[in-house]
Amino acid sequence: MHNDFLTLLLVAGVGLAAPLLYAALGELVSETAGVINIGLEGMMLAGAFCGVWGAFVSGSVAVGFLAAAAGGMVVAAVHGVVCLVFRANQVVSGVVLNVLVLGLTTFGIAVVFGSNLSRSVATLPTLRIPLLADIPIAGPALFEQDIGVYAVFLMVPLLVWVLRSTPLGLALKAVGERPESAASLGVRVTALRWCALLFCGLAAGVGGAQLTLAGLGAFTQNVTAGRGFIALAAVVFGRWRPVGTMVAVLLFATADAFQIRAQALGIHVPYQLLAMLPYLVTVVALAFVRGMRAPAALGVTPERS
Amino acid sequence: MRLLRTRQGTLVAVGVPILSVALALVVVGVLLAANGSDPVAAYRSMVSAAFGSTFALSTTIIKTLPRLLPALGIALALRAGLWNVGAEGQIYVGALAAAGVALFGPVVAFPIAAGLALLAAAAAGAAWGAIPGALRARRGISEVITSLMLVYVAIHLTNYLVEGPWLASGSTFPATDPVPIELRLPIIWTGTLLNAGALVVLGVTVVVAFVLGRTVFGLQLRAIGANDRASRVAGLSVGWVTVAAMAASGALAGLAGGIEVLGARGRLIEGFSPGYGFEAIAIALLGRLNPLGIVGAALLFGALDAGGAGLQTTAEGVSSAIVPITEGLAVVFVLIGLGIVEMLNRRREARAMLAGSQSSERAVTHDSVAGPVVEA
Repeated sequence: MHNDFLTLLLVAGVGLAAPLLYAALGELVSETAGVINIGLEGMMLAGAFCGVWGAFVSGSVAVGFLAAAAGGMVVAAVHGVVCLVFRANQVVSGVVLNVLVLGLTTFGIAVVFGSNLSRSVATLPTLRIPLLADIPIAGPALFEQDIGVYAVFLMVPLLVWVLRSTPLGLALKAVGERPESAASLGVRVTALRWCALLFCGLAAGVGGAQLTLAGLGAFTQNVTAGRGFIALAAVVFGRWRPVGTMVAVLLFATADAFQIRAQALGIHVPYQLLAMLPYLVTVVALAFVRGMRAPAALGVTPERS
Repeated sequence: MRLLRTRQGTLVAVGVPILSVALALVVVGVLLAANGSDPVAAYRSMVSAAFGSTFALSTTIIKTLPRLLPALGIALALRAGLWNVGAEGQIYVGALAAAGVALFGPVVAFPIAAGLALLAAAAAGAAWGAIPGALRARRGISEVITSLMLVYVAIHLTNYLVEGPWLASGSTFPATDPVPIELRLPIIWTGTLLNAGALVVLGVTVVVAFVLGRTVFGLQLRAIGANDRASRVAGLSVGWVTVAAMAASGALAGLAGGIEVLGARGRLIEGFSPGYGFEAIAIALLGRLNPLGIVGAALLFGALDAGGAGLQTTAEGVSSAIVPITEGLAVVFVLIGLGIVEMLNRRREARAMLAGSQSSERAVTHDSVAGPVVEA
């Protein structure tokens, strides 16, 4: 019984972490290049909606994920046009994109499905990896998930490698820390920021679909319910590093899974207080932990020469 | 801040937002048409639901109130170059404080009791806003992330109380008991639901306009917004002004939450704010950080909200989506519009320089570009 609880807790924790981790890794790349997306929530929400819409129209989960990636990238592209082309402030643009996408998806769900809840669509099947999934306690959490979960956790070492050891990674960091110097060395600052931003849109869109197409199988109004902000918090709490961000996401998601499991067992926990945990620990960490430093040029669009 | 301060004069200052809102309304009309409704008829029924009767007009004002105060607060902080992204959370803690005083506070006569509850609301909002302000002033932590994070702390705290200890017995939805009638803001317009909260908001708006335009504090805000290093050299306590600006900003949002509890809603209801605090950022920008402009923008979206109820649509949800879509589009258009104006100015300037003309006009630089640095 005790082991059962732990096994189920870990399975749920890793599953709940996946959508957050997609968005958080996207945001990590974007912030590394100096672009902050307060609109991450909107990108996720757009992905969550487009994913269900695409899967509903086509009958295919894969098409749903493609639509979700496109949806997230469209939101990112608007952010890019406003901030990178017309050089407006990134905070305003992000906040307003959240408002806009919430309105558009509410409108969309009403038009497509005639209510504020979509019809159910097919979801990603679980892909059990034989033998490894039989490892006690941690096995099912790591090896009995859907392909979207495997993909996002494999992205973590990939990102570590890209950011640490490739010219692209170094260029991204240079663009986020000292864009003027990077430009003088011939790095195409704006182009790189566009790439990082669009990657963020793609990842957040897929994260939104991971929420609706791997878990719920449906879209409701404002289904992301602040997950984009949790992902933003995870990037900060993870100190702008891939592994740190993953640990933060797993921590937040396991706390979430704990309250769900506890409720299922009839144990009373004030789940609202657990739900505020990610936000609270991030503020506390910012206030009391030394060395929490964002990329120097985050949010600043340099003059174009 | 430099965000919206342009030196192109009032034509751009007023023209760009108005054009942007008009364009946004056209796009929404197209969306409505695509959804099968006649946009002209739709807008006509919305205008009548927003302005067509005394009741409609009062509904518009009621829907304006929770948008106006937070937007004024955001503008106040932005004048100092501070992003209060957390007004939504400050609205909720304000509502919590007002409900707490109203439900469990001392029993005193009407104006004092309601006044106490509203003061508590403003104080709670101020405290919630002062936290990111202090972290910025003392530790140099960007107020953007911290104020945003505190939104969800406030919302979950509200949910906890309203679903748990404060839940009205026998209630079928998460809400507290109604506020006792002695504490309610009384109806001031017979035949409508307009309450005295409107007078409070009106008074506070005048005070904010006065503070921003005519007081030393207003000047200090602008000074640190324009150049905080120079202000520090000039002997201004930048840290103190930062905390005060964020606290004042939070107080205005908190007051808005309190007025909702004692006025329009009459109790604390889970999720009563559908994002007023986030909308307020759009409204502050559309109003160009100017109190009069903000009143205009808030009224516009209050009217759209009230008008949406008059829409005859087949699908539920369409009417509630109109306000956020219009706000979002309008601000995106404003940001692009200001960017275009800036580009045109630069081109003109460059041409003037090439021609070697000694233009009597001062060099026009619209430095909306960088905005405040986010250094979380």
